[in-house]
Amino acid sequence: MSSKPRAFFALDFGSATTSAAVLGHVGGRWRLISHTTAPSHVDVDDTLARLLTQIEATDPEMLREMGAVETIDIPGLIAGWARLEARTTPQRHLAVLGGSRRQRKRLETTALRAGWLVTGGSADEDGPVALSRLLMSTDVSAVLLGADHSPAGDEKRHLPDLAALLAAATRSRPELTVVLAGGAAVYESLFSGVFDGRTGRDVAMDQGVVGMDGVFGDGPGDAIGDKAAPQTKKVSKRPAANEASELTDAADGRAAEAMLDEGGSEPYIVSNIPTPMPVEEVAPVVTAPAPKPPAAAVAFRAVEASPIDIHVLLAPDPEAGHPAGSSLQQVLEGLRALPNDSRLGVARSVASLAYVLDRSIEVVEVGLQGGLSARSQPFGQGHATIVSSRACLADASFAPGTPSEEVIDGLLAWSTVSLDRHKAMDRLNDLRLAPWGEADGEGAIFRLAAAKAAFGRLVEAMPELAAAEMPELMIAAGGIFASLPPSVVALAMADLVRRPGVSQLAVDEARLLAPLGVIEDEGERRRLLANLADDILLPLGSLIMPAGVKAGRSAGHLRIKGVATISEIELHPGAVQVVDLPPGRAARADLDFRDAVRLGKRGRHFSVDVGGGMCGLLVDLRDVPMRISDRPDSRRAALDAWQRGMWPEVDE
Amino acid sequence: MKAVKTLPRVPEISPELARIPTRRILVFSPVIRYQLGPGDRALVAPGDHIVPGMPILERTPDAELIEVGRMENWETRKPENSDKPEKGPGTVADERLSPLWKEERLEAAVARQAQAARLAGREPMAVRTPAGPRVERRRPPVPGKWWIGGGDRRGKPERGRPQPRVGGTLLFESEGRWRAAAGERHEVVQSPVAGVILSARNAVDVTIEVVGAAMPGAIAAGEPSRGYLDVPRLTDGELWASALDVGRAGAVVVAGSRISGQAISRARAMSIRGLIAGSVGEGELRDLEASSIRQKASLAPSVPFALIALDGHGRRPIATPILAMLAALAGREVAIVTDPALLVFDAAEVPLPEMPPDWIRARSGSHAGQEGRWLSSVGMYRFRGGLYLEGAVVRFVDDEETSIVPVADLERFVF
Repeated sequence: MSSKPRAFFALDFGSATTSAAVLGHVGGRWRLISHTTAPSHVDVDDTLARLLTQIEATDPEMLREMGAVETIDIPGLIAGWARLEARTTPQRHLAVLGGSRRQRKRLETTALRAGWLVTGGSADEDGPVALSRLLMSTDVSAVLLGADHSPAGDEKRHLPDLAALLAAATRSRPELTVVLAGGAAVYESLFSGVFDGRTGRDVAMDQGVVGMDGVFGDGPGDAIGDKAAPQTKKVSKRPAANEASELTDAADGRAAEAMLDEGGSEPYIVSNIPTPMPVEEVAPVVTAPAPKPPAAAVAFRAVEASPIDIHVLLAPDPEAGHPAGSSLQQVLEGLRALPNDSRLGVARSVASLAYVLDRSIEVVEVGLQGGLSARSQPFGQGHATIVSSRACLADASFAPGTPSEEVIDGLLAWSTVSLDRHKAMDRLNDLRLAPWGEADGEGAIFRLAAAKAAFGRLVEAMPELAAAEMPELMIAAGGIFASLPPSVVALAMADLVRRPGVSQLAVDEARLLAPLGVIEDEGERRRLLANLADDILLPLGSLIMPAGVKAGRSAGHLRIKGVATISEIELHPGAVQVVDLPPGRAARADLDFRDAVRLGKRGRHFSVDVGGGMCGLLVDLRDVPMRISDRPDSRRAALDAWQRGMWPEVDE
Repeated sequence: MKAVKTLPRVPEISPELARIPTRRILVFSPVIRYQLGPGDRALVAPGDHIVPGMPILERTPDAELIEVGRMENWETRKPENSDKPEKGPGTVADERLSPLWKEERLEAAVARQAQAARLAGREPMAVRTPAGPRVERRRPPVPGKWWIGGGDRRGKPERGRPQPRVGGTLLFESEGRWRAAAGERHEVVQSPVAGVILSARNAVDVTIEVVGAAMPGAIAAGEPSRGYLDVPRLTDGELWASALDVGRAGAVVVAGSRISGQAISRARAMSIRGLIAGSVGEGELRDLEASSIRQKASLAPSVPFALIALDGHGRRPIATPILAMLAALAGREVAIVTDPALLVFDAAEVPLPEMPPDWIRARSGSHAGQEGRWLSSVGMYRFRGGLYLEGAVVRFVDDEETSIVPVADLERFVF
């Protein structure tokens, strides 16, 4: 028997749901032993005790081996095993200032994708009083002032006043973090601790980017862009308290025992001792300071900060990076999120999983504080490079804090029951107050509509994916999907991702992607995911979605060749057909269409490999993109018919 | 049993019962916040002790941008309004010309501010000694500083008419000139609670640590207000709107399970200070907001009015332990604050109802609002829609049969 525990807990502390899993080194590799989810108010140690009790009842010998103990002492194991923790970052507000409406919209788009709640204003639309009101709101914890690398005429004449206004706001609110993006970086000196009394225009004149008469562009060289080469500079102190490593020893807070993988030489992350951070550093890469601890919901205290404690970040302009804005998005994400943020952890895990499985993967995660849509795919020679893009949207919460009319429209569009707008808003607000309330019956139908509406907002936030190929693996994550029947989750994915192709569908049932994503070292994460790839995702089945199926009585035939059986069905245009294919089974599907359709490429005969899952093989013969009647009754009837086919228990 | 600041001992309960979400009925010494905007100023300083009714801030509802002028000579120059003779070194524009001062409403604050001035590291906004020459120096112009300007800055003065004065806060300096957010009209906000000022920043916020106990609510709207608690008889858990008559003026009325739009309109018309209910709809909240905006636009002074919903938006009766507690406090002064949603009691001791530890209430689902006793846990159970959730066996009051309810739909009360 080993002298060291060969197991640890993986915990995902969501806003509404806490998930816990036991990962153990069994049979020469890491395995998912058991997992559970519980509302976030339930004590986590109680949840872990239940997990271990279940394992003890099933296989006490394995528990003894994992715990490296002779006699099972569950409280001792809970206290002694290390924990890999991910945590949802509470929503935070960012004020966006732009010189022009055009710039403001670009900055807002980037900030929204970084997961912030955004309120914006531009100098050409809003007066200084309105902009000041925006900055002085104590809900706002950071401000983004941005401009092009070389500001255009519509914005550069406003920048000095905006910078002066922002600098003045930081005098009243020293706790504000300021991000100066692109050409706005030339005004950094206005925020350099002690207020030196210079105005934004003075600074611009000092830097030679404004003429003596105060008009931009007539100075020598009109060189604001050259003077403001984007770079990231951290002026502020980074609080070390948030730097604790995520795999911690629960017993005494000291460094946990190193857990060796099969090779036995390389430990996973082992320490929770805060790494001392430099007071000031200038990094060539995009970095951001750790955010302040989130404000308590009820009790809030005034921030005690001296005027010189102003946080200023210089960031790239909103066009930098590929895709455009990704560099600034990265800065803003770093500023918003906790170091062990679960949403970013999911994105990192998906990138690692794409490498491990050598597949293109998309994930959609919907939670109470927001949602995530991310895509990763291998690229280049040997598929050694992973290309990733993502959008973290605070507005993609299934129950946004202040639901807009568009949110209600989206909800009503996916609801299969008739609701008036006010009632829908009341129920959505109640869902936010009690996310686990009324999870059965009609409440489950409402939650499904809310989840689909949030999913739809994520799809809209990633327009670049509309042109991408159907991913080889599509994952649904988040507490709301985990609480719904797998078949309706598969249908929701088919409803929202309308791209022709074939894809495997899966659910992050154990919610392990987030905790595994907080492992800092990419190599370690890949090794662990390679061990766990078969365990962590619950397969829903495969989705075949051809585009261009013409209306009629029959669209063709589908023949499934299994190991021992061959089954054949007729394909009906406009329907979602399900073929039974259990989890763990693979088969070859031959499709013969009456007319040419698009399924990756255009043709009439296709042969694809499919995998089984909880709901089998889905053949979606509806229009791509989906066309449903605009009349509410007809739309509800159509959605209800498809839903009942996948969720017959709904009428119980 | 009574709740004082030390919490009563929590009775031992089974681990299964502990998995039911708890709802804390009382919080002690909560922190509340007033959000200020450009042009608004705090009339208190950190560390000040306040009592109900004391002016704590002054709002400038119609603040607009005004170019102040160059302030390099702020230490030596004369007051900006040249049409009034200077009254000597002891006069300061921002205090002398404040409508608050004219209405003698700063009197109560004088001693407190003088005391605040003696404390190190504090800068009260306006300090006036009752008599004698002024001793305080003018402070340099900084963002947020209170500023008073004359009508000559707002266009050509008209003959024979008094020049309107504007007041507000400095915003920023650009090209050597300061801009201010200022307006002619100011509204003084009085504290609805007793407490200690934690922070007071012009144009930003005022935060107060409340002295006493408070009951958290789910939603609150309107202006923080104060009045005596009125617990009328409810019919089927509701209060008819016609019961809100002028006899209840100045009261905070317990209105039952839900607040209707009609009840809100009627309550405002009858000078009722607030309504307490189990729930309020989003439509009613919008009506209240629109009504408040109309009232402000009419320039007519209005008494503050607030409402608080203890449970949420869906219709649910007020929980009986809460109702019993409110009934015991009837006639006492209470306050509704909106940020966060709280019902604040002045009472030093709050009478608590006796309640068995397994007393539960369904806060959502098909049994929403019903109360009863928890019997046992059933573990994972198949509920409607084929969903597996953790369930509990409960017996609701007035039900002969037991029911199996998702644990997440239940709540139990702790004080």
